[in-house]
Amino acid sequence: MPNEDKLKAGHKKTEAGKRLSKLMINDYTRLHQKAKEGAFVVWIAIVVPAELFSGFENVVYGVPESHAAMSAGKGVGPLQCEKAEAMGYSMDLCSYARIDLGTAFDGGKDSPTFGLPKPHLLISDNNNCSLLVKWFDIYHRAWDVPHFILDIPFCYEQQTARDLNYISSQYRDLIRTIETLSGQKFNIDRVREALEHTKGALTNWKRFLKTAVSRPAGLTVFDSFVQMAPFLTSRGTKALAEHYRLLADETEENVAKGIFPVPNEKYRLLWDNIAPWHQLNKMSSRLASLNANLIAASYTYCMGSLEGEFDLYPYDGGDPLTYLARIQNFSICPHGLELRYQAMQRAIETLGIDGVIFASNRSCKVYSLMQMDMLKRVTERLGIPSVMIDVDHADIRKYSEESVFTRIEALLEVIDAKRGAQTPRKNSNPI
Amino acid sequence: MRITAVQIAPDITLKLCPFSTKLSVLNYLDRSPAGTDDDCRVNNRYNMKNINNDMKDNKAKGRKVIGCFPLYPPLELFHSLGLVPVTLWGLKDSIPTTGKSDRHLQPYTCSVARHLTEFLLSENGAALDGLFMYNACDTLRNLPEIINCGLADTGRSLPIFKIHIPMVPREQTESRAYLRARIKMLIDELEEAYQVTFSIEKFRQSVSLYREMRKLCKALETLVANGRMSYNEFSRIIRDGWFIPAEDQLLVLQKILQDRPLSKREHVPSAVQSRIVVSGILPPPLHMIQAFENAGLTFVGNDIASQNRALFYTPAMVDDPADYYVDFYNHHYPCTTLLYTADRRMAAIRELILSTRAQGVVFIGEKFCEFEYFEIPHLEKTLKDMGVPTLFLEVSIDDNEYSEAYVTRIETFAELIGSANQGGRYAE
Ligand code: SF4
Ligand code: SF4
Repeated sequence: MPNEDKLKAGHKKTEAGKRLSKLMINDYTRLHQKAKEGAFVVWIAIVVPAELFSGFENVVYGVPESHAAMSAGKGVGPLQCEKAEAMGYSMDLCSYARIDLGTAFDGGKDSPTFGLPKPHLLISDNNNCSLLVKWFDIYHRAWDVPHFILDIPFCYEQQTARDLNYISSQYRDLIRTIETLSGQKFNIDRVREALEHTKGALTNWKRFLKTAVSRPAGLTVFDSFVQMAPFLTSRGTKALAEHYRLLADETEENVAKGIFPVPNEKYRLLWDNIAPWHQLNKMSSRLASLNANLIAASYTYCMGSLEGEFDLYPYDGGDPLTYLARIQNFSICPHGLELRYQAMQRAIETLGIDGVIFASNRSCKVYSLMQMDMLKRVTERLGIPSVMIDVDHADIRKYSEESVFTRIEALLEVIDAKRGAQTPRKNSNPI
Repeated sequence: MRITAVQIAPDITLKLCPFSTKLSVLNYLDRSPAGTDDDCRVNNRYNMKNINNDMKDNKAKGRKVIGCFPLYPPLELFHSLGLVPVTLWGLKDSIPTTGKSDRHLQPYTCSVARHLTEFLLSENGAALDGLFMYNACDTLRNLPEIINCGLADTGRSLPIFKIHIPMVPREQTESRAYLRARIKMLIDELEEAYQVTFSIEKFRQSVSLYREMRKLCKALETLVANGRMSYNEFSRIIRDGWFIPAEDQLLVLQKILQDRPLSKREHVPSAVQSRIVVSGILPPPLHMIQAFENAGLTFVGNDIASQNRALFYTPAMVDDPADYYVDFYNHHYPCTTLLYTADRRMAAIRELILSTRAQGVVFIGEKFCEFEYFEIPHLEKTLKDMGVPTLFLEVSIDDNEYSEAYVTRIETFAELIGSANQGGRYAE
């Protein structure tokens, strides 16, 4: 059994945590309120550049993936999934999609936020994943709501000028579409302003993540998982920039004062995949009890970076559409293996990672189907012990804590063995 | 049988040119037509060897073989450049295991991708001189680099040509210029990689060839609908056609069609035969088709991605290959893998049902194929509202054997539509 004191160390409600709850409550309350008052409502994929909506007087947006993550975190994931499955949607489909379909077709019942207000326009984006286009198509057909698809070429290498122009031309199409449907005029200066807030938010986000450099690390990845939520719902706002500034300040202060989430940190681990939303507390506590700290995740260090990069790519005050097109591929899923490896190598080296946990997520093929080769590369080329575990990010029914921890504990043993060895092994065996 | 020159269409005469692998055509003809289902099964078992021999034969003749995925690559373009495109699809019947691909792909990957990867990583893949892929589902877009890693493990490498096909409806976004540029770039890359030169004349000839080939495939489909060819045999001929040069495939198709005069009935539907449309990425496995046909069901309509969806449309000839492919992709038969065609899909299926007077629709679900699985509940519901019975059968990588469970479901479905006798009377 894990030691109780150590369990407590794994997760404490910080000031930033309390502010986060307020921010999220405000976001959802405002969304419902504005929708009720007649705002033009769009539903977007998480990687649609939400700063664009600031260019309109009265456009609000809901993010089904973010809502699904929250539902999974609050424990209603399986319930909503089952509703979708009863409608004929296969259990093999992405659990975010199933949660969302279950919620939306049941009028928001059982949702921690009463669901999302019905949209006037759906905006999907095939660079995060193309199944999302299919998922939004379901609403498009069921409710006869227009569906705008951002068509973003996949990044096997750095984005080309041709692709950048293609993307920004689609933003112009999107703006025209919203103008036509909502009757509102678009103002690019307001987007510029929003991008300045985003720049502030992301600068501080990176500062927050950098506290992982210290030994012990100033954060756990579970903090960054929950703290990324408002980046999806409050992008481009002053409130978000301010929140991330306070978050970074508070975390740096803790480091300076010697307050660490895993004080006896012995293993510094990196997580590759979406957060296991249903396991945040349990997993962080159990890892802390093993003196293991997940200090970084590809899922959160990608925010604010270009494809394949680790550092911030800030807004330079230039053409907003060009900047947004350039940063369009920031999240991990639109990257090929070479780029993902490049960024992960930087993270491993910068943060002094001892081991990598590849969370093979059957719900998210786009994230997961290349992890077997990534794992091999990380162990062989970088000499970093790695393990693959089975996780579904939002459907707890497909998760086995015991088999996951058996593998994680085996990883820790390999790290120990590597440390104990006279000559560090270059080729640690993957588990 | 000696073939020196064959008039295959008013504007095309095939000679024994470097493109024609005469020997392989003859072999193919010897082993293919008019077999019993047992013969088909035997043939299937040996198919990979034949496919391999075909590819090696091409290679021996100095031709470069390009493996393509997924199903709608610019075949005419490759052909006009003197390359032999082979579409790497439907390999499941021919590759019994996936040991090599299992080292790179998790078990929740669809069988199509696992068999494709296995094919490339096994010695079969060594007959290829390059790979071509375009963006389709989330699984496939991750594959090129995974394949690269797998090949590197075996000390091999292959040039991989990738293009992005815009997945937006034209009413929403003007993507033609983008696609044109990508096609032009692809031509440049191929010219450079294989030291070949694009010629519009040759492209025209290739387009005519493929148009004719598709037309004959459609004629074959009619044979199935009329009960003159088993759906198994049709599926095998179409699948094998992906692996031989288009000229050879034309000869094969011509020969088969010559051998099947209207009066000759090898698979005569009985009076109680019911008519169904089949929909999915791949045709059902052989044993499942047998169960359908044994239950008195005839496949009169085809919505299979590797068959009718792929063979449906050839654009009119234009002076620019880029314009040709803009037309090709824009007017493609609706497919779950072409995101921008979604709004046309239900109408296409409805049309298929009405035009074939089908009495039911069978969905063959490829396990883990999200593109298909997101659409099926909507299609089933709409068809139910039209009064069209549907049957959904899931096929996974392990479904190679006869199963009593699905036979019972197929028989029940056959009874249902047989007793309803609703042909041609659906709500429009
Ligand atoms: S498949 Fe992955 S990227 Fe796509 S919606 Fe699901 S979790 Fe997100
Ligand atoms: S069957 Fe579906 S999941 Fe598999 S490769 Fe084809 S489209 Fe992708």
